[in-house]
Amino acid sequence: MSVLSQLNVIQVSGLTKRVNTLDGSLTILSDINFSVKSGESVAIVGASGSGKSTLLSLLAGLDTASQGDVCLDGDALSTLDEEARARVRAEKVGFVFQSFMLVQSLTALENVMLPAELAGDHDAKTQALALLDKVGLSHRLEHYPSQLSGGEQQRVAIARAFIGSPKILFADEPSANLDSKNGHLIETLLFDLNRQNGTTLVLVTHDEQLAKKCQRIIHIEGGKLEKIIEGVAANVG
Amino acid sequence: MWVKLAFKLFSREFRRGELTIIFAAIALAVLTIFSLSSITERISLNIAQKSSDFIAADRRLSSNHAFDGQILIKANQFGLKTAKMLYFDSMLFANDELVLGSVKATTNTYPLRGKITIKDSLISQAYEVGSGPKVGFVWLSEGLFYTLNVNVGDTVELGAGIFKISKVLVKEPDAPFFSLSGNKRVLLNYADIPTTQAVQAGSRVFHRLLFAGSEKQLSDYYAWLKPELKSNQTWEGIKDRQSPLGNNLERAERFLLLAGLFGIMLAAVAMAVSAKRYCERQYDPVAMMKTLGGSRKIIRNIFLLHLSLVTGFSIIAGLAIGFVLQYIGAEYLSTFMGTQLPQAGVRPWLLSGFIGLICALMFSLKPLLDLFDIPPLRVLRRNLGDTLAVSRIHIALSFMTIFVLMWIFSGEIITTLILFASTLLVIVILFVISRLVFSAGRRLGLRPGSSWSLAIATLQKRKNANAVQLISFALAIKLMLFLVVLKTDIIADWQMQVPPDAPNMFIINIAEQEVEPIKQFFSRHNIPHEDFYPVFSGRVDAVNGEPFARRVSKQEGEEKEEGAREGVRREPNLTWLASLPEGNEITEGQWFADGASDGDDIEVSVFEGWQEVLDLELGDTITLLVNEQPIDAKVTSFRKVDWGSLKPNFVMILSPNMAGKVPVTYFSAAQLQDKHTKEISKLLQRYPTVSMIDIKAQIEQAQSIIAQVSIAIGFVLSIVLISGALVLISQVQASLAERMQEVVILRTLGAKGRLIKLATLYEFMLLGGIAGLVAAIVSDIALLVIQQQLFDIEGRLHLYIWILGPVSGAFFVSFIGYFMVANTMRQNTQGLLRKLG
Repeated sequence: MSVLSQLNVIQVSGLTKRVNTLDGSLTILSDINFSVKSGESVAIVGASGSGKSTLLSLLAGLDTASQGDVCLDGDALSTLDEEARARVRAEKVGFVFQSFMLVQSLTALENVMLPAELAGDHDAKTQALALLDKVGLSHRLEHYPSQLSGGEQQRVAIARAFIGSPKILFADEPSANLDSKNGHLIETLLFDLNRQNGTTLVLVTHDEQLAKKCQRIIHIEGGKLEKIIEGVAANVG
Repeated sequence: MWVKLAFKLFSREFRRGELTIIFAAIALAVLTIFSLSSITERISLNIAQKSSDFIAADRRLSSNHAFDGQILIKANQFGLKTAKMLYFDSMLFANDELVLGSVKATTNTYPLRGKITIKDSLISQAYEVGSGPKVGFVWLSEGLFYTLNVNVGDTVELGAGIFKISKVLVKEPDAPFFSLSGNKRVLLNYADIPTTQAVQAGSRVFHRLLFAGSEKQLSDYYAWLKPELKSNQTWEGIKDRQSPLGNNLERAERFLLLAGLFGIMLAAVAMAVSAKRYCERQYDPVAMMKTLGGSRKIIRNIFLLHLSLVTGFSIIAGLAIGFVLQYIGAEYLSTFMGTQLPQAGVRPWLLSGFIGLICALMFSLKPLLDLFDIPPLRVLRRNLGDTLAVSRIHIALSFMTIFVLMWIFSGEIITTLILFASTLLVIVILFVISRLVFSAGRRLGLRPGSSWSLAIATLQKRKNANAVQLISFALAIKLMLFLVVLKTDIIADWQMQVPPDAPNMFIINIAEQEVEPIKQFFSRHNIPHEDFYPVFSGRVDAVNGEPFARRVSKQEGEEKEEGAREGVRREPNLTWLASLPEGNEITEGQWFADGASDGDDIEVSVFEGWQEVLDLELGDTITLLVNEQPIDAKVTSFRKVDWGSLKPNFVMILSPNMAGKVPVTYFSAAQLQDKHTKEISKLLQRYPTVSMIDIKAQIEQAQSIIAQVSIAIGFVLSIVLISGALVLISQVQASLAERMQEVVILRTLGAKGRLIKLATLYEFMLLGGIAGLVAAIVSDIALLVIQQQLFDIEGRLHLYIWILGPVSGAFFVSFIGYFMVANTMRQNTQGLLRKLG
């Protein structure tokens, strides 16, 4: 393995996704190739239906490619089964979703602890408390998601994403469901934590302004990689 | 680590009410089965015990010849308790009065079941004892005290012996069935028989052996005894074919069994619905856990632990509530009946626990497997996995489970099959009907913007879901209506059999010239009585000229009619009548035409049970031997006879032109009260050949059992009604979860709460009304079949349920729906949006 590929925490080669529909086979992603270096922040942008969410699902191993491969920190996802991919996610990946995806029956603290508990980490509570403090929710530990505002729920989700110190963070339209003030807060928080932890950030968005905060922008259109814009972010860390 | 997480999730889910319906469904299945089987078992044990009391034993062997000593020795070897009895008539003499008494001599072990009721003097309180008089003593029935003008402590001559009268004999457990002179009964110790010298070779005596023990001991013993039995020996149990109790008991048992099966069905539907709903609500958390790296194994462990916990808790809760319920029920019954119900064994505990476990496992299995299969990608594609929701495997598995549960509970494959198949058929019909109804609604074209339009639009949009809902509503309503009507009919039928003014005394052996004076006596004392029937005994000698003995031996192999064939061999009481007696029904042929004169052929109407035994057809000629005089009678009809009616019943009724051809005595029945005892004694003194058979105890017992079983049925019914209500609630709750999103959208778009609430109210009203109507029609048809086939009650339509069904369905369903939606509407839209998020 070359030094370069070791630096590349995500390596995407010839990634293609086809689905069967009533009208025959439909290609959602076609021959995507790019790599992401460790600690880098990358935005995947594109219009609705361009395939960016599908790309995210393939990168995170939530779905399997029809062709090509994703290599996540040395693990070729195409060679792994569902269980092994879950293990990779548990060890190396954090997520932030547009719709927060908190477990309704768990409190803010318990939601943050969840990934660590699933991974069998005995230090879950200490880590979670520290992260919730960082996102400014120390006073909301015992609140359930339905008792939190949208912005607060997303902050819990961000705290959850960073527990267990993942190498890679995937964020799917993290501020799309929030008003501009809360959205801005969330974005700042996400980038700050990302920088502090040295995490690789892959952000899916259709918001050009948000994308510009990343070091690189990958444009997807019609399932194809249209262009990659390098070094756009003013705040390269 | 996952264990802690699992417990945490479980406690939260429980508190949030996500597991409540699942918990309630399992607990309800368990408590239904427990309380049903336990109360049924306790009542059956009590009834069996009481019925055993009725023959003073579990089984008895009767004959007019002495028994081989080996019969008793063997019975003791099989571990059975035994008692010997001998009946004979003997003269009693005291104070210059001489009277013929009916003597029953019993060994010290008599009665094996039940108690003898006695009094210390004519005016003291009656009480119960467990054995008869000691050697040298006799107990006399009250009538004899008046006839002989004696008191307790006096002596009486019985045959050649002199005995001291120590008690007034009020009631023996088995008196009514064979005492032909109820008023002149004597109870004597078996060891005193030789002292009386009343039993000589050739004396008319009747022997009886009593047996008591476990069912196994009894059946083992009977297996040995059967080949040894002689033709003049009869083996009897408590469930005799023509026992009035037997029929009622069987009906009660069937009803309880049906109710239990319905209870299981309802609880199972509630369980299936709630398990599916619970698992669907877990799709997102599971997808999230998988995304966050949770392995399939951990997720499986977490939810299996949840299932085990909820199952464990609900089984314990079900058993506890079931125990309390059946305890309250049994206590109430005991107080009401004045008897203590025997304790049920471990069967109800094991059966209900096992059924709860099966219920939980089978109904959750497929939804859980689906849950484990939820792809993590659902976090991005929110509807992924929703298609798993309607699974044919789940449906098939659920049906199979219900079938197996019903089978385990009833132990009767035929009943289970009938009920199951008819329910399946109902479901198919309902599905078709619901599809038609919901499609038809589209053409109604109601005003846009109205609550009705919204209700109908919503109904049409969820066609499939509504069909499922309609089916479960209709099934629940159907089962409830079914049981309510059946209960009312069964109890009404029973009460008709034993009305409060039923005669309690049969008067037999009345000579023709005694009929008028006795009628006058009755009217003087305001004693209600039946008609006076002419009675004579006759034996079937031949059918169409073929000797009867040969005819019967042809069918010797058939077991089931053995008892009836025995009856044919005896000399049954016959009568002639101009009109068909109440409670009889012609099954074939015609009742006698009016005005048959002396010259015409004699006709006969035969009990349908004998039709099979004698292999009779209409037009056959039966030769009867009456006092050795042959009489030919042509069979012109067959009758159904209600042996449970406790009224005078006859196997053969001849046409009225039989009058004057044979000597007869008359027979009647009257309703006597205690205050009449003295007058009756005088009457019997004046007409010494007249005898009375006291069936008061029999009637009291029948009424007591009816009352007992009616209460039990009411109790069981209320449990089934609760199950039904739970099914409705779980269905409404499930559908509400589905429509939450819609409510939120409508609210966000500014729809008034009133519009949404009314739309829901109408929607549920329509659903409930349609379900109720279909349920009413289907249950009425099913009732028609089941009442005739299983309960032997005349089937008829019950038009009131055609109204009751839709009205109660619409009211109940819309009430729950409205209440739940109104509850939702109290939260603000933002709150609802967050809940959905």
